[in-house]
Amino acid sequence: MSGANLGLLILKERISATRMMVIWPLLAIFILFSSWGLSDPKANLPADIVVDSAYDVMFTSTAFIIFSATLGAVLISFDGISRDRISGVLEVKLSQPMKRSTYARALVIGHWGAIFVPVTILNIMSLIVIWYRMGELPTIEEVFIHTLGTALLLLWYTTIQLLSSSLAKDMGSSIAIGIGAWMLFTLLWLIITTVVAGLSGIGVENLDSPEYVRIEGIMDLFSPNGVYHHLLEMPLDEIDRGISPIAIVASAIAWSLIPLQLFIMRIERLKP
Amino acid sequence: MEPLLKLTNVTWRHKVRDFSSWKPWAKKDGAGIYHVDLEINPGTILGLVGPNGAGKTTLIRSICGLYACEGFNKSENYRRKFVGYMPEQVRWEGRLSVKDAISSIAEMRSSYVDVDKLIDTVGLSSRSDDILDNLSQGMRQRMSLACALMGSPEIIVMDEPLNGLDPLAQRAFTNLMRQLSSKGISIVISSHQVSDLEALADKIALLHHGQVLIDGTLEHIRSKLRLDSDSDIVEMICAVTGIQPDEISLDIARDSIIPLRKPGGEEE
Repeated sequence: MSGANLGLLILKERISATRMMVIWPLLAIFILFSSWGLSDPKANLPADIVVDSAYDVMFTSTAFIIFSATLGAVLISFDGISRDRISGVLEVKLSQPMKRSTYARALVIGHWGAIFVPVTILNIMSLIVIWYRMGELPTIEEVFIHTLGTALLLLWYTTIQLLSSSLAKDMGSSIAIGIGAWMLFTLLWLIITTVVAGLSGIGVENLDSPEYVRIEGIMDLFSPNGVYHHLLEMPLDEIDRGISPIAIVASAIAWSLIPLQLFIMRIERLKP
Repeated sequence: MEPLLKLTNVTWRHKVRDFSSWKPWAKKDGAGIYHVDLEINPGTILGLVGPNGAGKTTLIRSICGLYACEGFNKSENYRRKFVGYMPEQVRWEGRLSVKDAISSIAEMRSSYVDVDKLIDTVGLSSRSDDILDNLSQGMRQRMSLACALMGSPEIIVMDEPLNGLDPLAQRAFTNLMRQLSSKGISIVISSHQVSDLEALADKIALLHHGQVLIDGTLEHIRSKLRLDSDSDIVEMICAVTGIQPDEISLDIARDSIIPLRKPGGEEE
């Protein structure tokens, strides 16, 4: 009775689902095309963004990963529990002797793997694109941080989506909760940050002011996308938002453990 | 005979949203099962009969260990291990094959499960590689049965398994149940029709409003209630509650027929 084996079977099921026919091209367009465009030496980027190394390309392209890969995690996991609940399959599964906590971990492994595998394949392909266009590759350390950060980001979104799915009792609310959580962190967090900055007496006319950059850094610790960017900024000497690495790592650990533990608790108490 | 599973004073109430409270998370006790006493003996077929909302599914889920309630002589873990459960009308769907879907359920058991043999037992060997989306309702019932048979269960609990099956498939199901029972496996089967269970069940428990009104062999129940040999569930409920069949309206589940009781026994 192994959670990892069950997780692999869930991964196999999810990765062969029809919705992957939408997710694969979406990921390919965002990840590969962004790497192709950003590694163009003649690229003229807005907001004084300078891309002059392979890791700079990888770092800048994370804006596209955040948009596409997290949406992919939502699309794969939003009905991770609710679909089985509606169809009655959840009753069969919960009546088996496997510990509920092991089952919860298997669900996370399977759903996370189903988005992490395609994203990683495309990230490796984007490295080839960067090497072809720029004639250089990032260091192993940089690739490791990028891969780890992406893995964690997808884990956080997967767990949040599975937790949302376990709360929803029909497909409509499952979709609403899933997309709502994704929009909150991907699109609305900037507005929340601006409001918090305004309420803290920090001027929001100049988003490059040191005070605003600092409050943005603090607020980012409470958003999975923000923590992801903090992690990826760690090897970059030219970026310093005044947040200590200990706070960033602590936030990453909290984002990894708290939603997972809440999800396990939810599955342990779940009634079909 | 020592019962395989004994239920003593088993009570479970669903938690439902309390709209009278200002708190959105407030819950209150809803319907459920009350003070159920039953014995499941080895190799016997027990039929749970009752109208919609009688508590058959709640009782079945409690037996399977899906609801954490007290009053069983065997632990929840034991019940989840040795009670095979076939829920009502599971809609197996997706692009997994029959074999992979059963394998993923088998992965949730501690002991080795021969998936091919199981698929063969329920007559799905020719559809083993078909994807779930392509199965008919009858095939899906067989899938659920395969899951119930996993891990050599001592008791198999089936929630209205004959619903949605054609007469031939119904006969195949009842034949299989008899075979299993002859091997010493106990079977609990629910239905809202006495006729479904008449030729199959050794014992019947009549449920209404979450309570077991009467249980025993069908002959015993009919003779005790002074009913004809062709009497159905409506006549049985009427005989126990004292109401006349002509008085029955769509509010059959109203509290005045059989009041809801709190776990302590007093009427609500």
